[in-house]
Amino acid sequence: MLPNFAYTRPDTLKEAVKQLGSEEARLHAGGTDLLGCLRDGVFSAQKVVSISKLDALRGITKTSKGGLEIGTLTTITAVAEHPLIQSDFTALANAAGEVASPQLRNQGTLGGNICQKPRCWYYRGEFDCLRKGGDTCYAAEGENQYHCLFGSDDTCFIVHPSDTAPALTVLDAQVRIAGRWRKKTVPIDSFFVLPADDVQKETILGADDIVTEIVLPPPPAGIKSSYCKVRARRSWDFALAGIALALAFNDAKVAHARVVLSGAAPIPWRSMAAEEAIMGQELTPDIISKAATAAVKDAEPLAQNGYKVPLFKGLVEQELAKMKV
Amino acid sequence: MDTKKEELYFVHNTPVPETPAPGQKPEPWQQTQMVGQRRARVDGYERVSGTAAYPSDVILPKMLYAAILRCPHPHATVKKVDTSAAVKMPGVHAVISGMTPATNPVWNYRTWEGHLKKSKLFDPHCRFEGDTVAAVAAETPYQAQDALRNIDVTYDVLPYVSDYRKALDTGTPNIHAEGNQVGQPQTQERGDVAQGFAEADVVLEETYYTACEIHTPLELHGCLANWDGDRLTVWESTQGVYAVQATIAEVLELPLSKVRVIGHYMGGGFGSKGDTSKYSIIAALLAQKTGRPVKLFLTREETYLATGNRPSSHMTLKAGVKKDGRLTAMEFTAIGASGAYPAGGTSLLDWLIKDLYTCPNVRTHTTDVYINAGPARPFRAPGHPQCAWALEQMMDALAEAIAMDPIKLRLQNIPDFSQARPGNPPYTTTGYKQCLEEGATQFGWQQLRKKYAANKKDGNWLRGVGVAGSSWFLGNGFGPATIILKLYADGSVNLNMGASDIGTGTKTIMAMVVAEELGIKPEAIQIEHADTGTTQFASVSGGSKTVPTEAPAVRDAAITVKRRLLEMAAEDLKSKPTDLSLKNGKVFIKNNPSKAMPITAVAKLKQHHVIVGVGNRGPRPTDKTVIPFAAQFCEVAVNAHTGEVQILRFLGAHDSGRVMNRLTYDNQVFGGITMGIGLATTEKRVLDHNHTGKMVNRSWHEYKLPTSMDVPADMQSVPIEIPDDVANTTGAKGLGEPVTIPTAAVVANAIYNATGIRVTETPVNAVQLSQLLAQHRKEG
Ligand SMILES: Cc1cc2nc3c(=O)[nH]c(=O)nc-3n(C[C@H](O)[C@H](O)[C@H](O)COP(=O)(O)OP(=O)(O)OC[C@H]3O[C@@H](n4cnc5c(N)ncnc54)[C@H](O)[C@@H]3O)c2cc1C
Ligand code: SF4
Repeated sequence: MLPNFAYTRPDTLKEAVKQLGSEEARLHAGGTDLLGCLRDGVFSAQKVVSISKLDALRGITKTSKGGLEIGTLTTITAVAEHPLIQSDFTALANAAGEVASPQLRNQGTLGGNICQKPRCWYYRGEFDCLRKGGDTCYAAEGENQYHCLFGSDDTCFIVHPSDTAPALTVLDAQVRIAGRWRKKTVPIDSFFVLPADDVQKETILGADDIVTEIVLPPPPAGIKSSYCKVRARRSWDFALAGIALALAFNDAKVAHARVVLSGAAPIPWRSMAAEEAIMGQELTPDIISKAATAAVKDAEPLAQNGYKVPLFKGLVEQELAKMKV
Repeated sequence: MDTKKEELYFVHNTPVPETPAPGQKPEPWQQTQMVGQRRARVDGYERVSGTAAYPSDVILPKMLYAAILRCPHPHATVKKVDTSAAVKMPGVHAVISGMTPATNPVWNYRTWEGHLKKSKLFDPHCRFEGDTVAAVAAETPYQAQDALRNIDVTYDVLPYVSDYRKALDTGTPNIHAEGNQVGQPQTQERGDVAQGFAEADVVLEETYYTACEIHTPLELHGCLANWDGDRLTVWESTQGVYAVQATIAEVLELPLSKVRVIGHYMGGGFGSKGDTSKYSIIAALLAQKTGRPVKLFLTREETYLATGNRPSSHMTLKAGVKKDGRLTAMEFTAIGASGAYPAGGTSLLDWLIKDLYTCPNVRTHTTDVYINAGPARPFRAPGHPQCAWALEQMMDALAEAIAMDPIKLRLQNIPDFSQARPGNPPYTTTGYKQCLEEGATQFGWQQLRKKYAANKKDGNWLRGVGVAGSSWFLGNGFGPATIILKLYADGSVNLNMGASDIGTGTKTIMAMVVAEELGIKPEAIQIEHADTGTTQFASVSGGSKTVPTEAPAVRDAAITVKRRLLEMAAEDLKSKPTDLSLKNGKVFIKNNPSKAMPITAVAKLKQHHVIVGVGNRGPRPTDKTVIPFAAQFCEVAVNAHTGEVQILRFLGAHDSGRVMNRLTYDNQVFGGITMGIGLATTEKRVLDHNHTGKMVNRSWHEYKLPTSMDVPADMQSVPIEIPDDVANTTGAKGLGEPVTIPTAAVVANAIYNATGIRVTETPVNAVQLSQLLAQHRKEG
């Protein structure tokens, strides 16, 4: 059951930032993740600050240069169904379409999706683990079949739960943030935080920072992008493994490559090794196989998630083969 | 006026079965008019529109809300419960626990041997996460939860055992004084197993596991309790109001007559609502203490922990077969986990091994163990789907080993009597052969097997088809049934029955039986049911019993009414009752049909205003056994890169005797398959074995039920309709459980056909298959 909290729904961004500055205030966008966390006692709230009145933060607009600005409150459904996103930023449309279930996509926002809390079942359950300020990671030697292969720093083994984040990463998205002292824009690959840097944070946001827009730069000429996700059941489930790709070709050779894995690490995991394996190459079966091997080369499987190694390999192979010109 | 009523209530131009003379058994139905049709539920509109009041919808004036404090540890002793802060909280009316003896009655549980063992409602020895520690009643659900958080419990946390395969290891903590073995291991043997294996041309052995599945009925477990003087009324979401009445009366030491349990509508039960739970007692006690109605519905998280499961099982099966397809021997060894209390951890786990196929030499050995986790409860066909997971995969493997079609192997070994029952009684009817053959034809088995033997590849996907069969050990229901049927002066009817309709369409089927016998429209029948205050005893709706137990009693009641009506009409028509018949809402003389009178004109009926007929379930055959049979088929695609599984198509061919209502029949088939797909591909309770023993996937999305995307849109139900007239007067056998028994094994066999990989452990999805495919590739 939800704890007791005060609720406010400010009219301006400035007021929202101010409200978030108060003790144990939590930002509420679509609430699909926040309310679950509060109900399950993952953390508490004294004040819930809804930003749903800030209409300026909702909607998708084309920039003069051919990129897109997506307001943080834009629903995941709206992202998935947008014709321009489908044609020019396909990975994002794919990824948004793979999120959760239709109801959650209608209610959940894009900003909320990249700011959502991890799904480690210890974190969500009655376990006082490291990420919640306790002194043990239960997953390390526990039930870790859904945990990470990369980036744990032997500290916390979550996988980043978002499907849209890896897609945004291959598309070189930027995140605009408004805070008490400043407004800033950061590239999405410096938005997420590894356990080594701070085990209690998933993003660089401070308590009173608000993501306002996500900006997609104009897509490089000829780029093709995609997102594919594997899960234990076919809807309403997070990724066991996922892959976002953005490739451009010169003749048949790869001239631009972004390979980002989901379900792999505490942050969307850019596989430089896979990118290197394909850059300047034709996507022959041999190269594809090399890239797949490279993608999992540094994996550090735990007792129960070893299946993710062949799974990622298979997935990289399948998805690169689809990209072949 | 009378003719108008006839128009309203009676069906026209359809014959009504002849009325047997007193003391005579009715003839089996020949050509039915109503029974067997596709009929939408009589209460469908109420259910869909939301006007049906389920127990969780009932609200009474001044009602309080209760909540239960549950032990967060899998094994602990309660040292102290300090409720001083909680009782002072706003809105709180009562707090009870083991520290309040007046509200801590004796709670019996049944040992494996069947003895009653005394425990307490609030037992200080908590044996599973979710065991009951204290309870509160407050004005709002929020206040009740807040109060729980302010109860301070001192626990002595004990070492736990959560892995059933380790429960009997030396050094594991004892959950009960007698140790962690539930009763005695069971060994059953016939023939000479060693000799049987010696005679075999092929002997295979494999170990299979099925994961623990949690009960997740859509309506939560719970009740509303209200006292009126010394009379208690409980609205409960239950499969059997009389079972709840009996337990409450026993625990609270009340006469049955003072306990009324009502469960008109209920939102699903697959066995977990057949048992009575502590919450019913707690609600009654809190209501008594506060003098207010008390509603106590569990949260979903509590149901995951405390209201039962299909226990996990570990099964080793060795089987021998001759080249010609005759089974020579089977040996089956299994461990199952009751959980924290004796709860049938291995119940019926070996049944299919002993009974489904002709095999002269069989040994089974099962061991039930305690673990510190929520006790099991019957779960749609206890033991059977697990056993089918082992047996039916083994049959598939044996068939391949002797290069025989798996359907042919099964057909070679179909018995016509029960080998597992003492005295080997014959089956009344055996439709297994037709299930396999007709199912195979409709599915296109031969063509698809050939096609996939030649080429399985479909892009990145591998395709295959599978089959599995089964029986269900109990086809003719159990328990007595007493039905009261009233024919009113206007020709409408009231049907009074104790049984619960747990969503299977019981009410609709019973209305169809009445309609069949009286020629009345089902809409003109009012049904009163599942209320211990106004109906007659009925056993719990479980074990696929409701149709074969209640429908014959309903038919009997209708016949009794008909007889009485003809007796009355005979006076008006100056004839003998046996010379009369019924049609078009009229009574007429058989050999002079022009002499007829409307039912509503019968003088005595007009005078008495009602005819009351009591019907009973007749005796069951004692020299024969009644068994439903099934064969199911499916087609799958497995992604060769990732191990993702898509189930493309399913077909269920079922022999459950007569089809009573084709629509609800098909609903059962599709629902059973859906549930079996959950066992096969997604469901698994996960306990934190290494650190705490707690359940980690206690939420809708971590405990994965199949979604509509995981279940094929292409599902076909093929009834193998062989009315079983020896079983009962309606010819119907049980259906609700058989429909889920073979499903998981069918999926596994199809995956094998597609990939060459034998998946022995549930659930099968990309988690397992990605790894198995990689291994398979490596091994070539
Ligand atoms: C059962 C279930 C299944 C799911 N499955 C998937 C899945 O398969 N794939 C997937 O990607 N996601 C999945 N999700 C997550 C879902 O997509 C997110 O909950 C949703 O996108 C969050 O959006 P929201 O607007 O509801 O966020 P909220 O719940 O309102 O917020 C989520 C978090 O982000 C913070 N936040 C939100 N907006 C901002 C902002 N503008 N600035 C700063 N902080 C902010 C909030 O404070 C909160 O901590 C699932 C969720 C559930 C409940
Ligand atoms: S993986 Fe991270 S979130 Fe999960 S238990 Fe370990 S520290 Fe906590």
